[in-house]
Amino acid sequence: MHIPEFSELASVDAIEAGFDRLGYICSEKIATAVFLAARLGKPILVEGPPGVGKTELAKTAATLLALPLVRLQCYEGLDEAKALYEWKYGKQLLYTQVLKEQLGDLLQGARGLAESVARLHDFGDIFYSEDFLEPRPLLTAMRQERGAVLLIDEIDKADHEFESLLLETLSDYQVSIPEIGTIRARSRPLVFLTSNNTRELSDALKRRCLHLYIPFPSRVLEERIVQSRVPEVATALRQQLVAFVHSLRDLDLRKTPAISETIDWARSLVLLHVDELGENTARSTLNILLKFEQDIETAEASLPELLRAGA
Amino acid sequence: MDSSLVGFVRILRSHDLRVSPAETLDAMAAAEALGFGDRERLRDGLAATLVKSRREEEIFRVLFERYFDHSAGDFAGAGAFGEGEREGDGEESTTEPPPATEAAGDGQGGGASGESGESGDPILNRAATESDTLRELLASPLMQALLGGKRGELSARLRRAGRDAGIDDIRLFTQKGQYARRILTAMGEEQLRGAVIDLERREDPAIDRLRSYRDLLREQVRDYVDAQYLLHAEGHNRQFMDDVLAKTRLSNIEQHYTARVRELVQRMARKLASRHRPRQQPRRRGRLDMARTLRAGIPNDGVLMRTHWRQRRKDRAQVLALCDVSGSVAAYAKFLLIFLYSLQDVLPRMRSFAFSSHLGEVSGLFEEEPLERAVELVNWRYGGATDYGASLRDFARLALNDINRHTSVIILGDARNNRGDPELPIMQSIYQRSKQVIWLNPESRRAWGTGDSEMHRYLSTCHFAAECHNLRQLEKVVDQLLRSVR
Repeated sequence: MHIPEFSELASVDAIEAGFDRLGYICSEKIATAVFLAARLGKPILVEGPPGVGKTELAKTAATLLALPLVRLQCYEGLDEAKALYEWKYGKQLLYTQVLKEQLGDLLQGARGLAESVARLHDFGDIFYSEDFLEPRPLLTAMRQERGAVLLIDEIDKADHEFESLLLETLSDYQVSIPEIGTIRARSRPLVFLTSNNTRELSDALKRRCLHLYIPFPSRVLEERIVQSRVPEVATALRQQLVAFVHSLRDLDLRKTPAISETIDWARSLVLLHVDELGENTARSTLNILLKFEQDIETAEASLPELLRAGA
Repeated sequence: MDSSLVGFVRILRSHDLRVSPAETLDAMAAAEALGFGDRERLRDGLAATLVKSRREEEIFRVLFERYFDHSAGDFAGAGAFGEGEREGDGEESTTEPPPATEAAGDGQGGGASGESGESGDPILNRAATESDTLRELLASPLMQALLGGKRGELSARLRRAGRDAGIDDIRLFTQKGQYARRILTAMGEEQLRGAVIDLERREDPAIDRLRSYRDLLREQVRDYVDAQYLLHAEGHNRQFMDDVLAKTRLSNIEQHYTARVRELVQRMARKLASRHRPRQQPRRRGRLDMARTLRAGIPNDGVLMRTHWRQRRKDRAQVLALCDVSGSVAAYAKFLLIFLYSLQDVLPRMRSFAFSSHLGEVSGLFEEEPLERAVELVNWRYGGATDYGASLRDFARLALNDINRHTSVIILGDARNNRGDPELPIMQSIYQRSKQVIWLNPESRRAWGTGDSEMHRYLSTCHFAAECHNLRQLEKVVDQLLRSVR
């Protein structure tokens, strides 16, 4: 297995700067985790509330390293046939039918049953060879010549069994196929797993990963993120809207607005040519930040205080 | 470095963080890759390798501050991390003036002159001309360090002596004096004491000076032992306490400990649930069973008319739990409800019921309300005098039709029915329909069937009955139960 150097990830500062250039403003904690993942060759398990940029982190890393991003979206019922590999059954069936015609020719001249069988044995397991293998994301990532960034998204949505299936891939970067043998990664991939913590992951999985928790960003960090993503927003408005979102997060809401929502909101305010956040604008655009009717009602009730916090 | 990291891992473990040896190795590799120049970065890096959840991260941070601050701040030079990284950490040691220098400085200020530490204390020097023991003492490295206020060297000696004395094993408050004594001896306090006795005999005026140095040393050692005690013993003592609580009768646990027990119960439920997670959901189609498909084709001259698919068996295990919340079991009910609440959080196909004079389903309540409020509401709505007959009739109405061979029914109660109708037929039909009926009774087996207890009659309709009055038993029984559920 080739172990890539990742010159872009040579130091924590280099990672911070590189991500910054790509518009992903990260805290030092995130950069440290990425650095260690590249250095120690371990997967990172990224946890945190939805919308703080867990998936984006993997995408940005792929862009920075100019490596293909192989993504495996997890869901209930996901199994090895969807994640690892599957046999091309259609092709197998078709070939057995077509080759049946050939069988007579092949066995011509064979004396007795024993010799015919011996001759058949010589063909080996053609139907279970790599030609009939349909690679799924995990195997695809192993087969990349220059390495890849493998993103296993929302692992908490997958079943418990699936976690165990991942263990081999995550610790040894290999996939075992009973009919063929073990396929090792050509080049060690950089692996990100994300979880929204809808359930506890198993200890075995956690032990194989570095752990990174991304919380909602601090005000300063979030302002930088908005600045990098929506540069059109004036400084005063940016500070105001970030402060507003931050005080919104302190309310008791069903779904707390995340960074992605802050960015969407900033974009809409730019489109609406808003220079200053007033009560009316805030009220009419709250639906961008909040996704539940009862949350919007809660926020509307305390709108003046929320705005004052931003001032 | 490595040994101090290992020490740190040991402390993490004693505070309930499960750190494997492989992770320890990772942490070492991480520390090496990151260097020791940046404390924050080192902390983040170690956290990434050693910590597995957000809860653990908080504990980790507190312990990191305690452990490494103390070794970095107090032990300049020969501290936890060898010489190299001290430069980067320099600000750490200069920002807070350590007590050692201060105290030593005071002692000197009280002396005749403000001379530098190198030349020692003039009063003692004068006295030394008359006493051999004192002269020897003054030449010893320990005394040199004390006189010079060389905090770094003193701390290094202290640390070394501490390690030799096995301070890492300190567990009990009462061991503090013993360890302090051992460390003092290892540091060569004997000699100092000898000199004090010598001066006392001669009634030399320098005795007070020497005594103040001795007290300074003792104070240092005491502080060190205190800090080590906090670090090493706290986690262990908590584990010990947890152990004791788990074995105590639930009704005997004092109010004072309820919070702690609640945490224990939740942790236990989490553990059990993660061990007994329901199996994978059935797949829609499964994988093609090549062997069967080919075999099925043989009668048709090899034409594959039908495909066969491998399917997994559906896993429809369901748990129904009934919890008695009447006055007679009030002390237990509180914990059992917490337990059910935590369990329902993680077992998807679980329904909970509460009863005393009548019965109702509380699954919805458990899902919507936070724990404290849910338990309170359940007690308020369903608490009262026990009537097993009426409760079972309610249960039959609510859930009897849902009971099938995949269902396990757990009943938590003392079976004290106030001489009412036990409604045995309902229990019998539950018994016949379900996979298993399990009765957990907080009373001890000897009390079953005495007075108004219907336990013996109900026993005939249970697959399994056990007494269950502390957490350990509860965990064992439920573990067994869940294993058989699959």
